[in-house]
Amino acid sequence: MADLFERFAQVQEQRELLFGDGGPDPFQVRMDAVISQTEAIIDGRATILAGTNNYLGLTFAPEALKAAHEALEAEGTGTTGSRVANGTYAGHSDLEAALCKFLNKKHAIVFSTGYLANLSILSTLVGPEDYILMDADCHASIYDGVRMGQAQIIRFKHNDAADLDKRLARLANKPGNKLVVIEGIYSMLGDRAPLKEIVEVKKKHDAYLLSDEAHSLGVLGRYGRGLPEADGVEDDVDFVVGTFSKSVGTVGGFCVSDHDQFDLMRLVCRPYIFTASLPPSVVASAKVSLDLIHNGGALRTRLMRNAQTLHRGLSALGLEIGGEVSPVIAVVAPDQETGVAFWRGLLEVGVYVNLALPPATPHNFTLLRCSLCASHTREQIDNIVTAFSQVASRLDLVPASQTPRRAVAS
Amino acid sequence: MPDKDGGDPSGDVLAAILGVLGSFNNAGVELSESTRFAEDLNFDSLIVMEFVAGVEDRLDISVPLNILPDIENVGQLATAIREIIKDEHG
Repeated sequence: MADLFERFAQVQEQRELLFGDGGPDPFQVRMDAVISQTEAIIDGRATILAGTNNYLGLTFAPEALKAAHEALEAEGTGTTGSRVANGTYAGHSDLEAALCKFLNKKHAIVFSTGYLANLSILSTLVGPEDYILMDADCHASIYDGVRMGQAQIIRFKHNDAADLDKRLARLANKPGNKLVVIEGIYSMLGDRAPLKEIVEVKKKHDAYLLSDEAHSLGVLGRYGRGLPEADGVEDDVDFVVGTFSKSVGTVGGFCVSDHDQFDLMRLVCRPYIFTASLPPSVVASAKVSLDLIHNGGALRTRLMRNAQTLHRGLSALGLEIGGEVSPVIAVVAPDQETGVAFWRGLLEVGVYVNLALPPATPHNFTLLRCSLCASHTREQIDNIVTAFSQVASRLDLVPASQTPRRAVAS
Repeated sequence: MPDKDGGDPSGDVLAAILGVLGSFNNAGVELSESTRFAEDLNFDSLIVMEFVAGVEDRLDISVPLNILPDIENVGQLATAIREIIKDEHG
């Protein structure tokens, strides 16, 4: 009998090639203590967290902590079952009502993660006669969701409304429904969808539109409702999917819609039916965080200012940056080996970012992906830039830096 | 001999596939209808996606991702694409 794990030999080889020397490895990095939303102790060092998607820094918001504590004490550590089989807590329905109010939609369903929200909706909403037209750079949860379903799956070129238009036109004589799937902000490079153009195309072809606002909820729009709010097209987005594990600062996912029958999804989405529901403390903090997001204009201003400062700083070093100014800023490394050395170098001087490797990245890029937080101080941003400068010059990616110093003054 | 050119008497579909495949043929394998994507060309899922996007551009069609798992070689892809073209042009 062959070894079951033989089929993963290539994964192991690749891993040994990149990380086999025993140095720090992004898959094993351990935060021994989390000090705040922007700092942790890693390998004995105070480290700036610049890769946690904690855009508004709400993981330690006093109001959210208080609500979580109270719910924990009152209702316990977990629900021990799914909503459908084992019952809904009042907190779950209250959170769904809060989502409806926050996003101005009639119906909301909460899922246990953002991944499950996409898996649930995309595998179920469309059937064998229908078509999904998805942006080629969509997240793995979208790919997995559509693969689990039965619709015909067609990819259109990333952020290319004209290509979408062409592909929808080819389907003009097909009777099935068409569902267009995009993201507000794409996770790897931080670029936004051209939503207004996509809405025009969607209307022209009488298609439905679903937007995953995982990285844009709380970040874009005057009240943090994401790209549809920022672009003034909320009524034209039929389904909004989101997560609680980024700006909302906890874990969970959701989908909202104005469609009158939307609640039927609860009875047909298998990942919803067969997953345990979120624990009361998580539900309570998520609900409070939605209020903080709605009233979080100042946080959004600080976040965007931090994004601008970091983007400007890294550009000035001469590093190649993958996208526009956004709370996700990705520096492109020339190859995977250099990417690993770069990532390790940053960690050694006290800065944690994400090392993103193909195939998870567009254009097979190797990325040092930073995500910013409203709570990052100017000093922390400056220290991140200094760290990039030091490591990049050591790796001969930019001219030697003038003022080498440790990134985190401790 | 079965009519292998089916709805593609001029061989345009096959020519387009082979044309796009040329830029993905790092191993310098001799390309024909029986060339297998995984075994002969060492394609992984990511390269498959890029290659299919290239064929879509060349022929101005949409190839649903659903059909890809059943396709092993160039000839099978050509057959599937001829079906798509016939279907799109009714």
